[in-house]
Amino acid sequence: MLENHAILPCNGLDKNAGVISREIAIKLCENANNKIICPVYYRVAEGKYNKIAGEHSLLVIDGCQTRCASKLAAEKNLKVSRRVTISEEAKSHNIELKSNLRLLENENTLIEIILNGLNSPEDKVALSSDETTVFNKFDYETYQHGKFLFRVPANPEIYFNENDCWAYVIGTRARIGVTDFVQQNLSDILYFTPPEIGTEIDQFGEAGEIESSKSVFELVSPVSGKVISINEALIGKPELLNENPYELGWVAEIELTNFEDDKELLIGFDKYFEIMKKKVEDINV
Amino acid sequence: MSETTFMGVERAKIDWKPTIDYTSCDFCMECVNFCPHKVFEVRETEVIKLIIRNPNNCVVFCRACSKICGPDALSFPDKNATTQRIKEIRKEESNA
Repeated sequence: MLENHAILPCNGLDKNAGVISREIAIKLCENANNKIICPVYYRVAEGKYNKIAGEHSLLVIDGCQTRCASKLAAEKNLKVSRRVTISEEAKSHNIELKSNLRLLENENTLIEIILNGLNSPEDKVALSSDETTVFNKFDYETYQHGKFLFRVPANPEIYFNENDCWAYVIGTRARIGVTDFVQQNLSDILYFTPPEIGTEIDQFGEAGEIESSKSVFELVSPVSGKVISINEALIGKPELLNENPYELGWVAEIELTNFEDDKELLIGFDKYFEIMKKKVEDINV
Repeated sequence: MSETTFMGVERAKIDWKPTIDYTSCDFCMECVNFCPHKVFEVRETEVIKLIIRNPNNCVVFCRACSKICGPDALSFPDKNATTQRIKEIRKEESNA
């Protein structure tokens, strides 16, 4: 059962997903030691809710993709430990949400499903095996643009796609992540959604999401294969991605299924370094 | 601003851009404010206040705007099909 959490729900009273968020927050507080943070009252009673947030792990319940509750958490510098988005949950369970503001059968079914998920023990994440420490040798080249420094690993075993993601390939395994270009662009990273262990990912498929107060970035997997582990450290400390998106902030490890084909659409250090420099100049990070 | 090629293929040959579902879009313009590549254009005086102005500025495989779209009104082509198409174009061009 979910215990000792501060719950910051979307409280959108004019939207179906907002009403569902509110109901879930209430139910989570009925029979457990959880506390609601009211997003409206938070605007005027910051001290009260900062204390609650500081003393508990924080669960954010967003109604829709606008993610008002997440944005509020970012604005208040709160560390999010878990997050649920009602519209995404509805989609993944094939439940159609309409515009009714009263809870009907569909809404109650979805609430039940989400509560069951939140109250079940969190899935244990497979840890990387010892042999994966071989991924730790990075030889960097750097590029300075104004106050920003961009490091790009030049190892021949590291491949890139033009979406600023890297794959460090050894044998039939790869460790994947994002480059300095992504973390500098996103600025302070606040939340990391890992890919699910066991998921088969196509080349250029989604391998997790990284979110800052400024933007959302979908990690575009450079390689195809099965996710065999994720970087657990990022869940509690997504800021590691800012600190070092290579040794510390790698995202996942993939058991490769078709690397020879994948290579056709990958580039090495020389080409990526040039592309990245051009992007930095164009966007003026 | 936009790259002229992607994976060695002329960007204009790759069909990758958001499609706006006008039955869901509420013209909140979050996507316009979010996208740094000027893919969208606001038309304040028109009934349809938002259009895709520069589809080729859209970063191939990026779907970030759809992830911040509250009413879920933005969709993208299938990634796999796009990857296959890029491979085909590369093959055609190397054989030409």
